[in-house]
Amino acid sequence: MLRSRRQRGKKSRALRLYFATDIHGSDVCFRKFLAAAKVYQVDAVILGGDFAGKALVPVLARGGDLTARIEGQSVTVPVAEWDRMAADINKAGFYPVRMEAGELAALEADPAALDRLFRSEIAAQLQRWCDLAAERLDPAVRCIITPGNDDPMEADAVLAAHPRVECPEAELCDLGPVTMASLGVVPTTPWNTERETSEEDLGKQISAMLDQVPEGKEAILNIHCPPYASGLDDAPELDDTLKPVIRGGRPSIIPVGSHAVREAIQRYQPSVGLHGHIHESRAAQKIGRTLCVNPGSDYGSGVLRGAVVDIAEDGTCLDFLLTTG
Amino acid sequence: MTSSDATAGTTSAGSSDAGRLFIRQTSGLVRELGIPAAIGISLASVAVVNTFINFNAGLTDFPKSDMYLPLVAAAVIWLVAMFAYRYLLRAVPRAGGEYVYLSRIVSPAVGAMAGLGIAVVFTYVLSTNAHFAAQFTPFMLTGLGLAFHSTAIANAGNHFGSNLSIAWLSVILMLIVAALSLFKVKIVARIIFTLIILQVVAFVALIGILAFKSHSDFVAAYGSFSHHAGAYQATITAAHANGVVFGTSIASAVAIIPFMVLNYNGVLYSYYVGGELRRPGRTYLYASTISIIVLVVLWVGVWALLRARAGLTFMQAQANLGVLNPDAYAKITTMPSVSGGLGYGLLLSGDPITKILFATAVPFAEIAVNLAFVTVTTRVLFAQAFDRLLPVSVAKIGDRNHAPNVAIGLVLVIGIAFCFLTSLVNLGSIVALQSLFFALILLAGGVAALFLPLRRPDLIELPGASEDARKAFLRKAAWVGGATTVLALFTVFELVTHSSVYGKFSWESILTLVIVLGAGPVIYAIARSVRRQRDALDLSMAMHELPPE
Repeated sequence: MLRSRRQRGKKSRALRLYFATDIHGSDVCFRKFLAAAKVYQVDAVILGGDFAGKALVPVLARGGDLTARIEGQSVTVPVAEWDRMAADINKAGFYPVRMEAGELAALEADPAALDRLFRSEIAAQLQRWCDLAAERLDPAVRCIITPGNDDPMEADAVLAAHPRVECPEAELCDLGPVTMASLGVVPTTPWNTERETSEEDLGKQISAMLDQVPEGKEAILNIHCPPYASGLDDAPELDDTLKPVIRGGRPSIIPVGSHAVREAIQRYQPSVGLHGHIHESRAAQKIGRTLCVNPGSDYGSGVLRGAVVDIAEDGTCLDFLLTTG
Repeated sequence: MTSSDATAGTTSAGSSDAGRLFIRQTSGLVRELGIPAAIGISLASVAVVNTFINFNAGLTDFPKSDMYLPLVAAAVIWLVAMFAYRYLLRAVPRAGGEYVYLSRIVSPAVGAMAGLGIAVVFTYVLSTNAHFAAQFTPFMLTGLGLAFHSTAIANAGNHFGSNLSIAWLSVILMLIVAALSLFKVKIVARIIFTLIILQVVAFVALIGILAFKSHSDFVAAYGSFSHHAGAYQATITAAHANGVVFGTSIASAVAIIPFMVLNYNGVLYSYYVGGELRRPGRTYLYASTISIIVLVVLWVGVWALLRARAGLTFMQAQANLGVLNPDAYAKITTMPSVSGGLGYGLLLSGDPITKILFATAVPFAEIAVNLAFVTVTTRVLFAQAFDRLLPVSVAKIGDRNHAPNVAIGLVLVIGIAFCFLTSLVNLGSIVALQSLFFALILLAGGVAALFLPLRRPDLIELPGASEDARKAFLRKAAWVGGATTVLALFTVFELVTHSSVYGKFSWESILTLVIVLGAGPVIYAIARSVRRQRDALDLSMAMHELPPE
């Protein structure tokens, strides 16, 4: 009797998502991201922002050798080993760029040229990744990539133009049992990055999307910044020179998430909140009935952290699992 | 928010000509903790006054005890382990500790089990720390009575000698720690910092007093306190009559090593913040080496001063007589026999401020350590909850105080249960089991380092190095991991083989050990089985290695 009642009340899975974020230029992590679709047997893979790398390593060509600085050490290899050197450099998510000494000097003297080079490298890598997704992903698996605050605006055009990838930035996206709202903008940071705004404006942007979710349909959020004081947003406190503050013999950890995101979650109560931004704050937390997840990031070690989320037919969250692969 | 040697800032160039690094304007701080900060973390993780507890345990449990060799040998063990952790830090340059190392290098299941085991061990440590503080309550009241010239306060300590009263005092301390833990993390950090400063000041004051007083000053002070001019010699004579053996022996010194291994616990903890260390391998190495040297100098120096002022024979007599024949001891003096070095300092100090400092040093130290351990334990519980081994509600953060109220509550309840359990076991047993737990954690680190070159050589990268150089590096890592494993096993061996001498492995202590070590595998098996029955996501997916190709 009890069993049959339980079985009658049991919800079945209608959608399985794999969510990862903050891979910052790591080729290895993106390839693992694509492999996750098959390993976890998901219906959609979502890359939630901050896919752009943080640094560019000039590889100087001298005679038959290539010289670059990798992990703080000067490394010289024959030109024939370019692929291996490039892979070594990219393990940290950095972009290897071959150049002559003269080009390097010119680049150093011209910040605008350096900025253009960064943007072109990011766009080129993103194009390669989208092509790889088209090649490797099962056609039935949806591939959604949305930007984060560290991603240049030019990336949106690359994503929008690619037929295999969806980029519903600042839009609603129908995933079947749920509607997903995505936003990569974050509240102002000390680093003045590409996509920042005030808490007030962020709140308005989120509301503008969620107000359009059809009545009776469950929503999920794919918002790069985690909610404030949720355990998904613990980061070292910084002083005026951006160095960690030490208190009681330990780095002081404080919440750095968004008040606007938290208020939106409390107000609209979506079934799931997918977040990133704070790499070291891998966590899952319930705010009201909303399950908020930040899988964290360990891209510098070539490790992909992610979350598998099962959604029921009625759009509620059935189950989740934080993964490391 | 961390990823490389780069520092955050605007688009800019690095400094080296051979290979510049251009950095974009992105969010995130990047490896900014230098050597001084790492030393601060290492030293703050060690409860310096706990050495007196371990001195007392060594003196009580072994005849002919001396601390020079154990202190140095334990430092060597930690020094070797430091190199093993350095390789681990290089392979996995992130915060996380043994749980992450084992899950990444040996097996996810082993990692998960170790994680749960460590969570239970840390909760157990909370209760033993509370127990230590409770044991020191009579001494604290004696010291405060002396400071305030109040016999009522001093005599109040006599009411806290039974196991039950010690258990209740432990519970009260646990409740104090729980209440303080509910404050915001910034406030908790300030409380910990203040308590650490107080214990360090007490330690330094003790060194000063011991340095500037003579042996005859100590004999006179002990006699004066005991209202019996010949108390010093009477203590030695009574101890001799009760079978206490004086002198030193190598065998005893070797057997005491596990206690001193426990002394240094925490000195390598800068690897827990590996993600924030600038040039992690180098910073960690320098910070840990300097911290170990500082502690060796401090503790060996204090032991030498204690030997010179109180005398080894007297220390052996006083510590053992209080255990072997409490009535005979009580007839000579009211100085609690567990008080050790702090008690000697209390006798020699002439002003109320240092008396208060000595009297409160251990309770304050234990509160500081427990506050830090609550943070660490709740973090470990969080990790288990996120890995679905425990309910997600365990990681629930309070809306008002932003504190993990459920996890703190859970730790408190289990900790209180342990408080009552440990009160049935004598002090030496608790110290021995605690040593065993930390030896096992050390063993986990050694095994992870040993397996690193065998199972995950890909995690160690040597850009530009030849294959021969890389193989040599991996061989070295295996040797260091093997050496750490052997030393950790030696520590475990010493603890287990001397159980008859200690009388440690009673059914209570074995039950405690079984609960602590068995909790991980049992909870893992239950969680996996329950999830399979419910057709939920399989736990084995949590750490599935994803193929990049």
